[in-house]
Amino acid sequence: MTTASRPGAPPVRDHSAKRRWVGQSIRRVEDPKFLLGRGGYIADRITPGTLHAAVLRSPHPHARILRIEVAQALAAPGVRAVITGLQAAELCDPMPDFGPDPARHTWRCLAVDKVRYVGEGVAVVVADSRYLAEDALELIEVEYEALPAVVDPERALADGAPLVHEALGSNCAYERTFDFGEVERDFAEADVIITDRLRWHRSGGQPLETVGAIAEYDPGTGSFTIDTNTLSFTSYLFMAANTLKVPANKLDIRPVPAGGSFGSKLFANKPAVIAAMCSRATGRKVAYLEDRVDNISNCDHHGSDRVYNVELAMMRDGTMRGIKIDVVDDYGAYMQFGVGHHGNALAQVVGPYTIGSVRYRVRAALTNKNQQGAYRGFGSEVNNWMLEQMVDKAARELGLDPVATRRKNFIRDFPHFIPTGNVYDSGDYDRVLDKALELADYSRWRAEQKRLREEEGRYIGIGVICAQERSVFSATEFWFWFDEPGAPVTSTPESVTLKVDATGGITAILYSCAFWGNSPETMVAQFVAEEFDCSPYDVSVVYHGSRDGLPATGPGGSRTTVMLAGAVEGAAGKIKEKARRAAAHLLEIAPEDMEWADGGFRVRGDPERRKSLAEIAIMLHLFKHSFPDDMESGLEGSKVFDHPYTTMPSADRKDLGVFYPFMGHACHVPVVEVDIETGAVTFLHYAAVHDCGTLVNPRSLAGHIVGGTAQGIGTALYEEYVYDEDGQLLSSSYLDYLIPSAMEVPEVGIGHVETPSPYTPHGVKGGGEGGRMMAPAAINAAVNDALAPLGVRLTELPMTPERILSALRAAGRAG
Amino acid sequence: MRGENPLAPTTCTITVTVNGQPHVAEVEPRRLLVDFLREDLGLPGTHIGCEQGVCGTCTILLNGASIRSCITLAVQADGAEISTVEGLARDGELHPLQDEFAAKQGLQCGYCTPGMLMRACEILAENPDPTPAEVRSAIASNLCRCTGYQFIIEAVISAAARMRATKEVAS
Amino acid sequence: MKPPPFSYAAPTTLDEAIGLLTEHSDAEPRVLAGGQSLIPLMNFRLAKPGYLIDLRNVTGLTGIRHEGHVLIIGAMTRMSELERSDEVAMAAPLLAEAVGFIAHTPVRNRGTIGGSLAHADPAAELPAVTLASDAELVAAGPTGSRQIRAAEFFTGPFGTALAPDEILTEIRLPLWHGGHAFVEFSRIHANFAVVGVAALAELNGDRIGRVALAVTGVAPTAIRATAAEHVLAGASADATTAAEAAQAAVEGLSPAADLHASAETRLALARTYLRRGIELATSRARNER
Repeated sequence: MTTASRPGAPPVRDHSAKRRWVGQSIRRVEDPKFLLGRGGYIADRITPGTLHAAVLRSPHPHARILRIEVAQALAAPGVRAVITGLQAAELCDPMPDFGPDPARHTWRCLAVDKVRYVGEGVAVVVADSRYLAEDALELIEVEYEALPAVVDPERALADGAPLVHEALGSNCAYERTFDFGEVERDFAEADVIITDRLRWHRSGGQPLETVGAIAEYDPGTGSFTIDTNTLSFTSYLFMAANTLKVPANKLDIRPVPAGGSFGSKLFANKPAVIAAMCSRATGRKVAYLEDRVDNISNCDHHGSDRVYNVELAMMRDGTMRGIKIDVVDDYGAYMQFGVGHHGNALAQVVGPYTIGSVRYRVRAALTNKNQQGAYRGFGSEVNNWMLEQMVDKAARELGLDPVATRRKNFIRDFPHFIPTGNVYDSGDYDRVLDKALELADYSRWRAEQKRLREEEGRYIGIGVICAQERSVFSATEFWFWFDEPGAPVTSTPESVTLKVDATGGITAILYSCAFWGNSPETMVAQFVAEEFDCSPYDVSVVYHGSRDGLPATGPGGSRTTVMLAGAVEGAAGKIKEKARRAAAHLLEIAPEDMEWADGGFRVRGDPERRKSLAEIAIMLHLFKHSFPDDMESGLEGSKVFDHPYTTMPSADRKDLGVFYPFMGHACHVPVVEVDIETGAVTFLHYAAVHDCGTLVNPRSLAGHIVGGTAQGIGTALYEEYVYDEDGQLLSSSYLDYLIPSAMEVPEVGIGHVETPSPYTPHGVKGGGEGGRMMAPAAINAAVNDALAPLGVRLTELPMTPERILSALRAAGRAG
Repeated sequence: MRGENPLAPTTCTITVTVNGQPHVAEVEPRRLLVDFLREDLGLPGTHIGCEQGVCGTCTILLNGASIRSCITLAVQADGAEISTVEGLARDGELHPLQDEFAAKQGLQCGYCTPGMLMRACEILAENPDPTPAEVRSAIASNLCRCTGYQFIIEAVISAAARMRATKEVAS
Repeated sequence: MKPPPFSYAAPTTLDEAIGLLTEHSDAEPRVLAGGQSLIPLMNFRLAKPGYLIDLRNVTGLTGIRHEGHVLIIGAMTRMSELERSDEVAMAAPLLAEAVGFIAHTPVRNRGTIGGSLAHADPAAELPAVTLASDAELVAAGPTGSRQIRAAEFFTGPFGTALAPDEILTEIRLPLWHGGHAFVEFSRIHANFAVVGVAALAELNGDRIGRVALAVTGVAPTAIRATAAEHVLAGASADATTAAEAAQAAVEGLSPAADLHASAETRLALARTYLRRGIELATSRARNER
């Protein structure tokens, strides 16, 4: 590791300029329509005459489809079409798939010869209404031949396990061990090796709005237009087009506001493909809106589901030397994102610590479950949890203070390259920790903890975790897993077009960018306001579809704010460059003697001589002959902003390069009480301090931190997609998939620290995922702290009452 | 829903007043109230989250009481007065609750917001001066996946103060 | 998740309603009260009644009144009305406390006491209240009315002693003096209970006199914890007795496990909540004097 800058780093920026709009907690520009009930979500956009689709889902976790009879369904009232998986395979090619071997773990919009999880779709009915479509579903007869199901990921990897994909010949879709740094040396020199086995069960985004699409096929042009609340990256549009068997320039996917995503609407193309396929088959506009059962069982976006076996090499004085991580990840029946979730882990695998070496063995197991997709953190939150569990265990075994142990190993010089090759661009972990402990009233709670146990026999626990929140991923994390990747792509751009109209009004066009509850319009409006000294509420932000859009990647990996900042900066720069020349020409001054100030260009040293943006704009739009020949009419600029800091992995993969450089950091300190008679965990206090670089809208970020923490509480205590040993999904509705209400979430005290990134506009970093990246680790730490006097330690999430009581019973401590 | 099909389902005639507007309609008995409001009356502000009566996204007021419109049949609302989010703003002015949700950023994706607003109306009608703890307990009926509830509670408390002040001025 | 089609009627008299049940007996008719339990089942298409008889317009099924030492509640009385009723708070505080645990306000605004009892969800609160209170449930059918003791009413999970052509019309709750407690353990606030306990206790001096305990979550229906009641009757009202009684209650029980709790955990929770319920009821009995 070295703190010296390496080749590939962008120039270090100067952030000394005063900011007027960036940093203000303004009201969001998005809000009025949502408050009025005019949000325009996908289900709100159904026009009369649109047909409705409903999907028949498999009740079996693993079965051959022998026969599907649809005659009765076709004859049912209002039914326009019934398409089976076999027929769909003729109409559509397999789904877009970034997995390791899509030809062998082939994923289609409907199952063809075999179903691989409870809920997998086998047929779709299209009817005049959803009611009628569901009536017809009940008339479809399917004959299945049940096959043995494989559910446990470790057993899936064992010899003789039933194969999820025969063509693959194994349930291990990917296996590799990476070594970074001097692993064996660090382990040989260590005083003690801390070992543990940890289990993180899958939960998922479960936004209150499901995925939906309205598709229209125009036989006149051979084109599809699809409105959907999922995101389809512009540059990868051709993959969805391939699925639908049309050229990429005959497919337009237009984003509509989504009622939440948390990753689960990222590239969730199946509803769009199903709707499109049905539209082409019926010659009509078709809407497919998942219902809740569709979404829970068949959403293609379950979260990480991991078994960890970890060894942490420590010196007796608390210095961390190296870590060996063996992780089995249960990917379910398909692998659309490959093991990219582990790229997220490797981006920050050593946390905020100067751990010198890492061995990372990852095995992707296929099982008869819904596949993994994206869930806030995308696999890095699991690594945070694992690492912080290990640090707490180490401190306990070595008789050291857990907070001091963390501080002892903090990285303090930046930019800092971790053993995997990724860089942490900036940070101040001591400052975050200090602020969190203060906000948490830590010393007082330690005293309270002692008093309450001694005087009242109550078990209070305090968790202190310090962990990273990476932002802005590079494409390399999806392919550096392979020595000879099939598609070593390197683009993850974001684009913005800014247009200044004849009155000086500014419109910002976003491409393949989505409103999910993040605030892209507010972010862009604040950036544009900063550039042009206008009010953010005067900026019009529109979303463009994918076909004729500029390259864009959309939200994910907390990238949107940073990438939009760069795109706005670039587009604004082009506008200002032209506006400068235009103003100079109008005022008959050399362009280099003009300066931007207060919404216009003025003559340096003679500020009364100025042209406002509006004055420049109207001239450029309408008065061509007032300008030189080479100056075109109009005033607009587009910027395709590419990832500003990505470097390539080395050929031997001992250095993965820089792929997630804008590294935020946080410290969460929950105080919990565990009722040892019931296994219930309640919060007595919660402090969270985050450092996401320069904040654009502090209130907005605080909202994401609380919301992410609430989801982290769900992951830590309540939420699990539970499959029984036969592969039946037990948590198939909100009665059993338990989402925290306001009574399960405490008031969260929020603190902000800002160490700007040297590499981004204004020094911003992404921060939308951070709350959930910290809370599970913090809550597990707190529960373990509470139960430590009883010799009980939880190593499995969620920490349900059942798991807590079982652990207490096993330790002979049941209440 | 009623087509030329001889198997066409029978319908019922219902009379409902929605946001002060009377409506007479023919509905299938099985038609859910939420679908009736959204599609038949063109009021898509009430949203669907779970269709099993757990999440509260579909909350509206029926005769002033909050209900879950996804587990209520339209026929059950015959004769009732219904209030939805579309009826909150008056003459282009936001209801204090709506305005405070914006001021406090009590929404992110906005999907739970209409249901949350209607529930908040009921909460404040029953108790115009609630404590934050009372608001937190009362809104446990409505799930939110984005905000973690904190800024919603702040918004309801601020709106309550404004509404009390307005009432004082009025009286 | 849209419900399947059904025929529908909203009669205005009880006789009409019963008549429809009889007339359409081969169409799988069901009675619709508040719909808070039935309609979700229909949205899942787990319940597919061919004929829905809506009781919302039937007169004479609502209201709360006293008859001597019995509180009489119309089956169609909304839970929110029970919650707000001073009469219920005074005369049947166990019921008042239990109603507060039933889901959330929006559900209680629609759900009815009769609907909940007739639905007989093993995890529900009101069956336990009627069991503990030795309530009588009045059912009306084509041949007239009859009173069914709570102890005989709940026959299995979602099963009652109601005949297919009978409608629950009234709940008759004998009044108790002394202390009450309804306590329950749920994973998410106001979600369905994993275990719940309804406790009624009267004190004679320092000793427990009359006592009734009902518990949910440990058997196919709510059950009376008679073994615990025997331990408590006449015993001193202290923590040791409460713990002993709770232990006696769970002996010999084999609850079904589910994704939320194993059998062992259910027994442990039942023991804990029985103990807590007994302690709370007896302490309230003490304060009452």
